[in-house]
Amino acid sequence: MDNSLRLFTLQPSSGVPIYRQLMDQVRRMVASGQLAPGTELPSVRDIAAEYTVNPTTISKAYSLLEGEGLLQRNRGKPMTIAEPAPKSGSLARRLKQVEPQVEALVLAARQLELDADELCRFIARKLGEHP
Amino acid sequence: MTTPAVYARNLGKSLGSKTILRDICVEVTPGSVVGIIGKNGAGKTTLLDVLLGFSPPSTGGSQLFGADSFQLPANVKSRIGFVPQQDELVNSMTGRQHLALTAALSGRWNHALITRLRQAWEVPMDRIAQQLSGGERQKLSTLLALGHEPDLLVLDEPVAALDPVSRRQFLQQLLEIASDSRRTVLFSTHIVSDLERVADQIWIVRAGQLAWAGALDDLKESVVRLHISARQPLPLALPLAGVLSLRTADQRATAVVSHWDADVLPQLCKALNADIDVEPLGLEDLFVEFHA
Repeated sequence: MDNSLRLFTLQPSSGVPIYRQLMDQVRRMVASGQLAPGTELPSVRDIAAEYTVNPTTISKAYSLLEGEGLLQRNRGKPMTIAEPAPKSGSLARRLKQVEPQVEALVLAARQLELDADELCRFIARKLGEHP
Repeated sequence: MTTPAVYARNLGKSLGSKTILRDICVEVTPGSVVGIIGKNGAGKTTLLDVLLGFSPPSTGGSQLFGADSFQLPANVKSRIGFVPQQDELVNSMTGRQHLALTAALSGRWNHALITRLRQAWEVPMDRIAQQLSGGERQKLSTLLALGHEPDLLVLDEPVAALDPVSRRQFLQQLLEIASDSRRTVLFSTHIVSDLERVADQIWIVRAGQLAWAGALDDLKESVVRLHISARQPLPLALPLAGVLSLRTADQRATAVVSHWDADVLPQLCKALNADIDVEPLGLEDLFVEFHA
C-alpha cells in the first residue's frame, strides 16, 4: 500500500475540485491499464492524511467512481478497481463520457483550421495504433 | 435530522450607527470543516464572537447544538473549544502550568493527545508565556482548546504566526479531528491555500455579509471565468447569469459568472456564434473576483 499512496497528483489550489482531479486520474489510469481490475486503492483516510486534504472530497470521488462502475466497494476492505463491465453502457452513454475531450478537440481544431475529414482520419489512425 | 452544530438566521450586529454584520444565515452540519475568508475588517472576528455568544446579536439569532448562542448552558459550553486571535495566556505562567490549570478546570482532558501534540509541535513547557515566540504562544493556545476534545472547535486566524512546517502539522491535526463525523471545525484565515486543503465548506465574508456560503467543490465548479471569442462583434448585453465581472472588446469578452452550468455551454456557443473557453479558478482568484 505504501507505494500506492503517492499514486495521484492532487493540487488543492487548482480551480478543478480535488474530487474531479482524483476521478480523472483514476479513469485515466484504468483506461491505460496502469490500474488493473482488482487493484486495491488507498483508503479515504490515508489519502486525506498523506496529501493533507479534506476527506469529504476524496470520498465523494470514490462514491462517484463506484456509481460509474469503475470502483468496487468491499466490506471492511479497501476499494478495488472493478472488473470492466462488457461494453459499459449504451453507445450514447459512452459517447457522452468522451464529450468533454471532444469539445476541447473541436475547439483546438477550429483554431488551427483543421477540417473534419483531416481530423477524422487522424483520429482513426490514432485509434488503430492502440488496439 | 441531526442538530446543526452552528445555525444562524438573519443574524446582524450593529455598534452605534455602524452595521458590522447583516443577514447572516448559515447551517453547519457536524463533521464539516468551515473555512472563513474575508478582507481585513469584513467582520470575520465579530461573526465568530456573535456565533459563540461573546456578544449579543442586534438582529436575528444563532444557535450552537440547538442552544441559543447568547445563553449557552454549561453542557454545551463544555463541547466548544475556541482559539482567539489575541491569545489569553497569562504571561507569568509556563506552558506546563497553563495546561495543568486548563485540564483541572475541564471535566475531561485527553492527556495522551496533548502530550503527543506538544512534543510534535515542539511547544516549550517550562518557559513562561512572556518568553514564548508568537508561533509558540499560538500553538500553546491551540493545545488549551484541544485537550477536552471539543465537538466544535473555533479558531480565529490560528496559523498567522506559524511557519510552513508547523502550519502543515496543524492542518493535519484539524483533519484528524474532521475525520470524526461528530466534530466540527470553524476557522478563519488569510492563507487561502490552507483552506483549499482542509475546508470542505467556505464562507466568504464581504462587508458584513456572506458573499458565499457553501461547499468548496461547488464554489469551484459554479464560479468560472469564460473566455468568449466570437466571429462577429458581440452584443452589448450578453445572455449570462450571475456576472461578477465582465470585460468586452469587440469580438472578445472575458466574464466571471457565479452560477455556471456546464450543460449550457453548447447553447451559449451557438447563441453567440462564439468559441468559449471555460477557465476554472483557484480560491485565491475566486476571492479576488468576489471583491472586484
